[in-house]
Amino acid sequence: MRCTKDISRSGFCFGLVVGSLVMAQTARADMVQLDDSALSEVQARSGITLEMELNMTADRLSYYDDGQGVHVEGLRVGSASGRDDGAFHRIKADVGADASLNLEYLIEDRRIEFSDIRLAGAPGVSMGGFFFDHSLDGVLTIRQDGGVGGNGYTFDSAYTMTGGRLGYRTNGNSVFLDDITMNVEALGITLDLVGTTLEVSAPRVTGDWRIGGIRYSEDPSVYGLANNPQTGQPLPSFGSFQGSYELSSRTGIRAGGRSGEGLSLDHETTIHTASFIYFDDGNALALRDITGDYQIQDLRVDVAQDWSGRPAVALTLGKLQGNLNVGEIEVGGGSFGSVNLSFLLEDQVFNGQAYGNAIYLQGGGHPDAGAQGLRLATEWSLRLADLSYTEDGHRIIFSGLQSWGRGDVTVNVTRDEVRNGTRFYDGLRIGFDGLSAGYRINGLRVGSDDAQLQGGTELLLALGFYPAYEFELDGHVTLGAGGATGEGLTVNSDIQIRNGKAAVIAAPYDEGAGEIPQKGLWLTEMSYDGQIRDMTMDVTEEGLAIATGEAWSSTDVGNVRVGSKEDGASFGRLQIQKYEVGSTTLVKPGGAGDVCVGGTGSAETTCGASGGQWETRGNEGVTIAMKKILARAQDDNKKNALLWESNRAVDGQGRPINNTGMRLLVNDIYTSDGSDFNGDGVDDNTYGIRTDLSVDVYQTKVTKKTDGPDSLGITGNRGDEKIMVPGSPGVYRYVAEPGPGDRANRPLGFAVKAETRFKELSISNIDLVHPAGGHQTVIYGAKLQNFDIRANLTATPIP
Amino acid sequence: MTVFRVCLRPLLMISALWLNGVPVSAEMAPLGDEALANVSGKGGIYLSGDISINEVGGPVQNSYFGRCDEADKKCGARFAYRLKEGGGWMVLDEIKGLFAFEGLTLRVKKIDTGFGGDGELFNRDVIEIGLPDSVRFTDVQFKIAASSTARPTDPGFMQTDILSVQMQGDVIMQGNLLVFPDGKP
Repeated sequence: MRCTKDISRSGFCFGLVVGSLVMAQTARADMVQLDDSALSEVQARSGITLEMELNMTADRLSYYDDGQGVHVEGLRVGSASGRDDGAFHRIKADVGADASLNLEYLIEDRRIEFSDIRLAGAPGVSMGGFFFDHSLDGVLTIRQDGGVGGNGYTFDSAYTMTGGRLGYRTNGNSVFLDDITMNVEALGITLDLVGTTLEVSAPRVTGDWRIGGIRYSEDPSVYGLANNPQTGQPLPSFGSFQGSYELSSRTGIRAGGRSGEGLSLDHETTIHTASFIYFDDGNALALRDITGDYQIQDLRVDVAQDWSGRPAVALTLGKLQGNLNVGEIEVGGGSFGSVNLSFLLEDQVFNGQAYGNAIYLQGGGHPDAGAQGLRLATEWSLRLADLSYTEDGHRIIFSGLQSWGRGDVTVNVTRDEVRNGTRFYDGLRIGFDGLSAGYRINGLRVGSDDAQLQGGTELLLALGFYPAYEFELDGHVTLGAGGATGEGLTVNSDIQIRNGKAAVIAAPYDEGAGEIPQKGLWLTEMSYDGQIRDMTMDVTEEGLAIATGEAWSSTDVGNVRVGSKEDGASFGRLQIQKYEVGSTTLVKPGGAGDVCVGGTGSAETTCGASGGQWETRGNEGVTIAMKKILARAQDDNKKNALLWESNRAVDGQGRPINNTGMRLLVNDIYTSDGSDFNGDGVDDNTYGIRTDLSVDVYQTKVTKKTDGPDSLGITGNRGDEKIMVPGSPGVYRYVAEPGPGDRANRPLGFAVKAETRFKELSISNIDLVHPAGGHQTVIYGAKLQNFDIRANLTATPIP
Repeated sequence: MTVFRVCLRPLLMISALWLNGVPVSAEMAPLGDEALANVSGKGGIYLSGDISINEVGGPVQNSYFGRCDEADKKCGARFAYRLKEGGGWMVLDEIKGLFAFEGLTLRVKKIDTGFGGDGELFNRDVIEIGLPDSVRFTDVQFKIAASSTARPTDPGFMQTDILSVQMQGDVIMQGNLLVFPDGKP
């Protein structure tokens, strides 16, 4: 590192000042030069007390790695309140009886900011600017002798940060964490040089933190302020956060990047306990009882080029693995249950291509948004992950999750405008530029990690996920501040998917003897264009509320294939168009509760008398209440329609050509309340299709369908019930007349209680379309009225 | 109680009806669970449960529709469609009832063996719908009618009920329904 054109009011070399800043927070032993003014504040009582007002600027701070530079520009350290004021620092130094150096420090209203990060080979664009405001009050004790003896050091650190603000700004728009409060205690941190590795070990770090809001501003004049100075009103906020943690960690740092100079880092952390709570207008979404651990191996930092030769700060990873357990996910006093994730990120070959894990940081963001922004050329390889969900003691595991991808992700803070021909919206814009990615799940396991692998991943379709999916993605999701009322989130997005291959039904990709082609029912040669406008997301007393202003999409599936996604036989082409205005979704904790399956009755006795089966599904689980308002067709893009085409002509390579075959078109499907009640000349459309869906993981009744041995050789008779053997994952037997003890060991599956109702659902016309003869209407309108469909279903994965 | 018994033996292999509706090979022998284990492509789901339509009525409350305890109102669902522009409407009216089933399975598999040697010749991937052992119908009913308007609340509404259907009892269904593409996609 070297200082280029430094401008310092206090006359320091810039690197030394940075050292002093770091010392106060992360326990480094560098001392700070004092000028005459600062020395005049030194008071000789017990130890030494230093007081100073620090205001410092630098045009550029550069870092060079193998001759390639990254420049931090427009650097300033000073007061957060006034551009020309300094930040107050007071450091009291004392030497203890054990020869330890004791520092008490107080830093008030300090801002550290820079306007741009630029790469030497990418002129004209920058990664944007950052600012960090804070006041610190803490102590730091430094003793000689580290964790492994010799010439190391041991640190004890404790501090409180108040008035914190951490912001990111591009092109005059900013997003920042506001009103950050933090208490941290880290005792016994050791720093040693072991061989060529600098080892930092923190045996116990505890703390709590609170973020008062994540605010957005599109006005350059309110940069770094919580309130709009013209209106006095707080800037819109995404919500507030708070949490606590106790963890331990070990970090090893070595010189040398992936090539030549650079930095190499190994790290491991154990999370002994933690919590994370999101507040939206006082309503909490809480993740409690968080535990876990992760290990980073061979993370390298270089200034280099990405796979396209673009200059970048390269973060390349050898391996990351870990476990994360969230003991409770709660909203409004109810619990969804717990979640566990184990993961391994490591180099792997998918579909014949080698993938690794790397992020190449570049400047610019979206090219039309302005010169400032982030572009992350990203590559990932999730070699293996298991995701499990447990509710009321019942656990189900989505096993063998793999994901891979490569492409650019852009980050800009944007405002509502059309700029350089591109439509932007208020908020943090996350863009996707030529991102080619995929994921797949091997199967389900129920009960424990070593249980037998089963099918059933298609149950994810109910939650809007394909069990396997490959795609090329472009577009953006812009997250705006403020929900339907007060704090929250407003989402605008435009997503385009090309060359999609999505599984509706998927068999395992590995049944235990190595990877095999994944069989299933596939939607291939799929393209998707979807737009969402003004979708608000809020945490309410009941749950997570999502309200969509307007959403329309078109999914064009070139072939619906059975078998292989590459060359399975095809049912033909399918096109689905959706257009909704004012649809809502509420995700609530808690499942179905007590249910009478196959009968009627609100109590066990009446249910049994009607021939039903009474089930007590507990307090945890998930309930989703949806209201879908299908709007009448506005034009060919905004409408609800379904088209199926077959008997298409083929091109020279044998590929079907769309719009050359016979088509069946179900056109303009829409909901209605049944009349024009408000007298505006059109039928009201406020009720829509309402669905309440409660999902629990619960014991399900599975009966044998034929006499003799089953697919795994277990013998039983037709009608016998499948009963799991306790303590033996995946082992079961068949029982002709199960008693209460047997019924308690029924196999686990998903229990779904659903009710769908609508007042009126209409279809304008159903046409047959000949490639030469044109449209021929078959049905001149259809109308479904007054439907209330209720279902109690259990879905059990089977081997 | 009336019992409807539908046995799909021998097992039928039905190509997608919307393609060309040609049943294929109706003389195959059924396979047991163990034999099916030799067919590649495992995994799937097993579905059981019940589905009711307008058990206590639907969401519309007007001069025609109401709750099922309102004697002068219809509480079932209604489906109307017309085959001629400006013509009358065919109607399924007062649709209600409960269906309960156990053991509907769904999976994708490749059939390249079995079926008395036909499987080897067939050699294709199929969607297998394993039919439930039993389906119970409780108070299932609907009417077929002709109507002058789609909505029973529209001006000039007139309707002629043609016939009523009521179903009660159990249907035993065994075997598998195999669905696969055929013809030119």
